[in-house]
Amino acid sequence: MNKKITIDPVTRVEGHGRVTIHLDEYGQVKDTFFHIVEFRGFERFIQGHPYWEAPVLVQRLCGICPVSHHLAAAKAIDQLVGIDPKDLSPAAYKLRRLLHFGQIFQSHALHFFYLASPDLLFGADAPVEKRNVVAVAMENRELATKGILMRKFGQEIIKAIAGKRIHGIVAVPGGVYKTFSKEERDYFLDGKNIESVDTMIEWSQTIVQFIKDYHEQHRKFLDEFAQFPSGHLGMVNEEGGLEMYDGKLRAIDSEGVVTLNDIATDDYEKYFSEAVAQWSYMKFPYLKEVGRENGWNRVGPLARMNICDFIPTPLADKARQEFIAFTGKKVNNSTMYSHWARLIEILHCAEVIKELLYDPDILSDDLVRTGTPRLKGIGIIEAPRGTLTHHYEIDDKGMIISCNLIVSTTHNNDAMNQAVRWVANNVISRKGTITDSMLNQVEVAIRAYDPCLSCATQALGKMPLKAELYNHNGQLIDERFRN
Amino acid sequence: MKDSEINTGKLLLVGIGNNGRGDDGLGWKFLDHFRELTGDQIELEYRYQLQVEDAELISHYETVVFIDASHQQLQEGFEVRQCEAGNHYYFSSHLQSPEAILYLAQVIFNKSPKAYTLAISGVNWELTTSISETAASNLHCAMIFFEHAFLPAIVPFFKAHNMGNKSKSKWIVS
Repeated sequence: MNKKITIDPVTRVEGHGRVTIHLDEYGQVKDTFFHIVEFRGFERFIQGHPYWEAPVLVQRLCGICPVSHHLAAAKAIDQLVGIDPKDLSPAAYKLRRLLHFGQIFQSHALHFFYLASPDLLFGADAPVEKRNVVAVAMENRELATKGILMRKFGQEIIKAIAGKRIHGIVAVPGGVYKTFSKEERDYFLDGKNIESVDTMIEWSQTIVQFIKDYHEQHRKFLDEFAQFPSGHLGMVNEEGGLEMYDGKLRAIDSEGVVTLNDIATDDYEKYFSEAVAQWSYMKFPYLKEVGRENGWNRVGPLARMNICDFIPTPLADKARQEFIAFTGKKVNNSTMYSHWARLIEILHCAEVIKELLYDPDILSDDLVRTGTPRLKGIGIIEAPRGTLTHHYEIDDKGMIISCNLIVSTTHNNDAMNQAVRWVANNVISRKGTITDSMLNQVEVAIRAYDPCLSCATQALGKMPLKAELYNHNGQLIDERFRN
Repeated sequence: MKDSEINTGKLLLVGIGNNGRGDDGLGWKFLDHFRELTGDQIELEYRYQLQVEDAELISHYETVVFIDASHQQLQEGFEVRQCEAGNHYYFSSHLQSPEAILYLAQVIFNKSPKAYTLAISGVNWELTTSISETAASNLHCAMIFFEHAFLPAIVPFFKAHNMGNKSKSKWIVS
């Protein structure tokens, strides 16, 4: 009998989604879908607002990565007042970077310690009551403590610069509005009130070692689980090194052939298009030249490890060298290595944060620059989950007339669907009985991409996510809903 | 972990909600009121939702009160309950119960602050920055009870003055 499996909600991801798996009469997987079914709205309702409101308004589409949206919008709005990244004052440029790296640091810590670590520590077969951070805390108190305090460190960076941990504001057109004091800086250096940045670097190294040890014991799982070829997209600096705030876009295919050769971010429209599907509100971006079928790319930590030539901080670069050695420096197309890549980026963030904290420029009060106004602004950054694009156009009164957002998770739309398909084909197909462990493995595959589904659809309000199993007659025969 | 000296008050009020969602802003409005009354004398934290790291935050306090809007129509318009640690983990990373936060504080930081929840009934949850008349009335009742009966009972070093004139009451630390 044909069946359709639904997982709804997919758990331990940011936001909510739904998975459906269709089986034929022999129990073989016929089709799979990772649906994002919430209404999208921000691109439309930002229209008619003055341009300077964009960094404040759009960050409200997420409670996890508002800083990323704030900064991407700010970069775009800078252009509307005639300021490119190189024209910002050193203080504004470096404070925005400090904010950005604090955000990535805390977001990656949240994902690894709160969301992903139960999958690694307890496995996909673990009972549902163990698959959470509370169980992690009970079994590995040290890991949980580090996780909480590392996330806190990143959040405190955000609070110090933007005023509050969630939905703070610091970027204004052409710069930042608030200085960073010596006392605020010392708070992160002296270790008196919170753990110091040196401790963060030390702990980040410990966590990288943790995943290396895990890899030793579970290499087959990491290598094979949800492994499939794809393109990879990210940002690099002028020398080809990993860049998160401002650089050029580079993409490679699954074999490492360059498909997007270090283009200026302002030119993204020439190279990217977005497809739509009837079964999801999330779009499917792809490289026009490669085409819809093969032109989609993974983004985020794994993609960034693949596309860059090096990481411009020593400890993280050494960690990346060890990471790429396992694939003989070939492109890594294994989904589960995303976790390892994410932890290398945590280390990179901690190193960059330390560099910036010791940079005297961040204490300057030279905060805002002005230029010749323009009608179009494009801001692209590497957010925690990958390449994030904000594009605004305004009329001569400064009102926004169009907005295009390509959110990191949107780039990973095809990849997450591929990952679901891999699990369906390799774990569920022809097994006869659907177990909780099988369904959890679908979630494990999606979770590795750290999707932010609310961002990806710019949805408002509550967004539950579920999974359904359908037979060949289209009848729902099993479903999972966690809420 | 640094056992910080910054929180000398030992009492923390955590307002949970979203002031852009009508009566869901009750928790924050409650804090706004206390900020007006007490200045910096009581530690206040505004939260959209409780998160795992709030376990670390509450571990620095002796007493914590979680204030949130409630969908239930409570008899007095509000309700105070003692809160016990419990392993009630919610699947999302950014939405945890007070019980789960207390549990994590216990397991990870070996701290068990005395904790209470104050639920205030609301009726409107749509996109607006104002609260409904019903919610405003419930908030007023909750504030009077909290200020003049509940808080002095659980935190003896705080005393409310000018009991007859609620709107102008002052707080002192004895």
